[in-house]
Amino acid sequence: MTRKWFSFALLITLVASLIAGCAQPVPIAPPAESGAAAGGGEQAASGAAPAGEAVQGGVWTRASSADASILNPILWSDTASSGVGGFFFPSMLGQDPQSGAFVPDGSMSESWEVSEDGLTWTFKLRDGVTWSDGDPVDAADFKFTYDAIASDLVETPRKSNVEQIESIEVVDPLTIKVTLKEVKCDALGDLGLAWLPSHLYADDFSDIMTSPLNEAPTASAGQFVFQSWTRDDNIIMTRNDSYWEGAPYMDGMITRVVPDSGTRLAQLISGEIDITGLEPTQLTSVEGNPDITVYSANDDGYDYIGLNLANPENPQPGVDENGELIAQDPHPILSDVAVRKAIAHALDYETIINNVYLGRGYQIASNVLPAVEWAHDPAIQPYAYDQEMANQLLEDAGWVDSNGDGVREKDGKELSLVLITNAGNKVREDLGALVQDQLGQIGFKIDFQAIDFGTLVERLLGQTYDMVIIGWTGLGSDPNDDAFWRSDFDTPESGFNFVSYQNPKIDELLKAGVSVPGCSTDERAPYYKEIQQIIHDDVPYVFISGGVGDTGYRNRWAGIDPGPWSFYWNVHQWYDTTLAP
Amino acid sequence: MTRYIIRRLLQAIPTLIGISILSFILVNAAPGDPITMRTFGDPRMTEEAREILRRQLGLDQPAIVQYFAWMTGLSVRQGDQVAMMTTPGNTCGYIGAINVTVCDGGGGILRGDLGTSIDTKQPVWARIVERMPATLELGITSLLLSLFIGVPLGVLSAVYRGSLFDNLVRFFAVIFRAIPIFWMALILILVFSVVLGWLPTGGRQTVSLTQEFNLGDRIRHIILPAAVLAFGGIAGFSRIMRTETLEVLHTDYIRTAQAKGLSPNNVWFVHAFRNALIPLMTVMGPAIVGVLGGAVVVETIFAWPGMGRLTVNAAFQQDYPVVLGAGMFFAVLTIIGYMLSDIFYAVVDPRVRFD
Repeated sequence: MTRKWFSFALLITLVASLIAGCAQPVPIAPPAESGAAAGGGEQAASGAAPAGEAVQGGVWTRASSADASILNPILWSDTASSGVGGFFFPSMLGQDPQSGAFVPDGSMSESWEVSEDGLTWTFKLRDGVTWSDGDPVDAADFKFTYDAIASDLVETPRKSNVEQIESIEVVDPLTIKVTLKEVKCDALGDLGLAWLPSHLYADDFSDIMTSPLNEAPTASAGQFVFQSWTRDDNIIMTRNDSYWEGAPYMDGMITRVVPDSGTRLAQLISGEIDITGLEPTQLTSVEGNPDITVYSANDDGYDYIGLNLANPENPQPGVDENGELIAQDPHPILSDVAVRKAIAHALDYETIINNVYLGRGYQIASNVLPAVEWAHDPAIQPYAYDQEMANQLLEDAGWVDSNGDGVREKDGKELSLVLITNAGNKVREDLGALVQDQLGQIGFKIDFQAIDFGTLVERLLGQTYDMVIIGWTGLGSDPNDDAFWRSDFDTPESGFNFVSYQNPKIDELLKAGVSVPGCSTDERAPYYKEIQQIIHDDVPYVFISGGVGDTGYRNRWAGIDPGPWSFYWNVHQWYDTTLAP
Repeated sequence: MTRYIIRRLLQAIPTLIGISILSFILVNAAPGDPITMRTFGDPRMTEEAREILRRQLGLDQPAIVQYFAWMTGLSVRQGDQVAMMTTPGNTCGYIGAINVTVCDGGGGILRGDLGTSIDTKQPVWARIVERMPATLELGITSLLLSLFIGVPLGVLSAVYRGSLFDNLVRFFAVIFRAIPIFWMALILILVFSVVLGWLPTGGRQTVSLTQEFNLGDRIRHIILPAAVLAFGGIAGFSRIMRTETLEVLHTDYIRTAQAKGLSPNNVWFVHAFRNALIPLMTVMGPAIVGVLGGAVVVETIFAWPGMGRLTVNAAFQQDYPVVLGAGMFFAVLTIIGYMLSDIFYAVVDPRVRFD
């Protein structure tokens, strides 16, 4: 009897382990075409949604890993909040879902023009758009929003959006003139923040921080109106019948907060939610599922290894108060471009992308992603994996293994570096181990440390590190990334040029690229192509992989037409095909 | 007893002050700061803009000034800055003799105000209160499950010591203590939600546009998370009860009861059981406080909106006021929990007296 019971217990344990085994990550989904990704995404559907007549009804349920923090567009700094609030608050700029370019479509502006000197932007607003409480959406809302950001009474992470603005003039309720302090082609993006309904706030901005509207916005000019928010659980919104592009077909949208990615996947499969982002390891679980379509697109971010060009024991700012370059105390190893190139050649990018990113990535050559098509230079080739070349570069630079211990030396100093990344990010931890191994093969001694994110940021901004695995996300559709490269952003403790890259030519090109009068892309492009070539040649970063995002959604919904820059741009036209008579 | 309670309450004051200092130091010693955390990676966020935010939140001040402001609600700045610092809800005055401006924002721990969340701009107190229903619902359900299953299992296990039943209880107690909670949770979701489709994968209720309360739906949602949480409790309580019951069964008074000719049921369940419960009282106080603290892993996997997720998210986001406020709240609860546990001890065990 006892033996029987124990066999039963053992059986249960075995079955449970087997089931768990099935849920384990299995490789490998086909990679997205990196070239095609310049503005394009791809959809893989196992079963197509049956076309049918659009009927009103149905509720779309999305899952978010984190709860929104606040539903006020000038106070939020998290994507969970903007992901929900974006359905309520209108903006001056629309974004082409495919190219990411700023367009009037879907926005409050009907058209805009820029003065010849490039300083004054005049926006013509759409007539007849109202908030859901009946008040018109007009120029006063825009001015109020931007004045609020500038106000001392408002604690907002958006202060930099108003730094370039000289003045905002409401010419009439449907015309706004914004004058900038200097020509800055990427400043247009600064004007794209969502607007507050000014008629619901005090004129002196005194209630912005504490208004109950921050938790329960009563007026919407978007596709949906707010209904309720149960913190850390769900946010419910219903159709905005007065939406200016036409009321959505669906009755409402629910955002559920589901922190665990495994649970989100289970909910997508069981039909409890309609959409969630998928991790590379999860793709095989939905492959072949006739109810789920996977949309894949390259996103606007990349991972890289930052190489500190200056001595981490003596961080110095890049320029003095007069803007003159300050000569940096060079990094004892990484200041030599030959060593940096050797690192770039020593990494097996194909293996990294296939094994670490599980195929959800693509090699990039320099700092402008293919998604910014007009500025990207496809002629620049990424560094090839070539150990021989890497070894040769190190030999020529004087790094040789004279004592046969496998580690190169030069002038009695070992080729030894510390590589850091943030603990808990599995991709980066795996990447670090692989980089450590591959650089070890050409005579580096790499001490790889995964440390807590706060400490990482402190060391990064303090510039007290050798090499770091990190990434940029949300780079947007403008190629200007001067904060990473310009000498005046090399400010220990705060600046994003924490690799201490100093190159007067780059400083000049970056400044010229954003101040082209008229901001025509044709005229700006040559500057960015030259910048990409120089960054590629100087190797302040070793570019590892461009980001790819995968989204799984239930395909009983028709009308979904996602682009890499927006999934929900036409949400008001989606309809539930199962409701058709 | 009253004198004992008063004495314990008075002792709690320096303890709480100590905890407030210690937690403030720990939070401030953590690398990075809330502003960098929120703006790192946003290349458009200039250093000037970050500095403005730091000043507005008072994070540019020395730690001692920040601590003083957190405790008293009084913020202090050098020089005459009345004009700059006066805001709605903030009264300021300049003290010329020591050249400082003092502003009273009306809050402060000493006035019972736990502060305001950096992210949500809500009072920390409100954030804690809004989590309590979900936290209590899950915590109490799992605690009751643990008690009503674990305690009888432990007693029966002791009474039938060495039997198949006892061996099974001990076997599964070890297994359930050893299995990682997240693994157990995912397996249960896989089996009961995805494969069988009997129970929902997570959340506290089915979310719909109408949001009507439905008891049956609530119960279906709580079964899996409460079961996962209870497994550990059942295992723990059954082991405590087994050990204690065995100990009691070998005492003189039980032998006396048996010698008097009482029925075995009477001996075990009246005499032995009540005395074996005493050590359980010692762990109940902290267990109840633990319930209020929430259960991070289970809340995360089952998307349960409880205290555990609130505090852990706040810590990751470096939302200092929430971390500190929740910390103080738990400090008070823990002190009360242990005090109640001591008092219960005296109530159930006549040998314990407080003088």
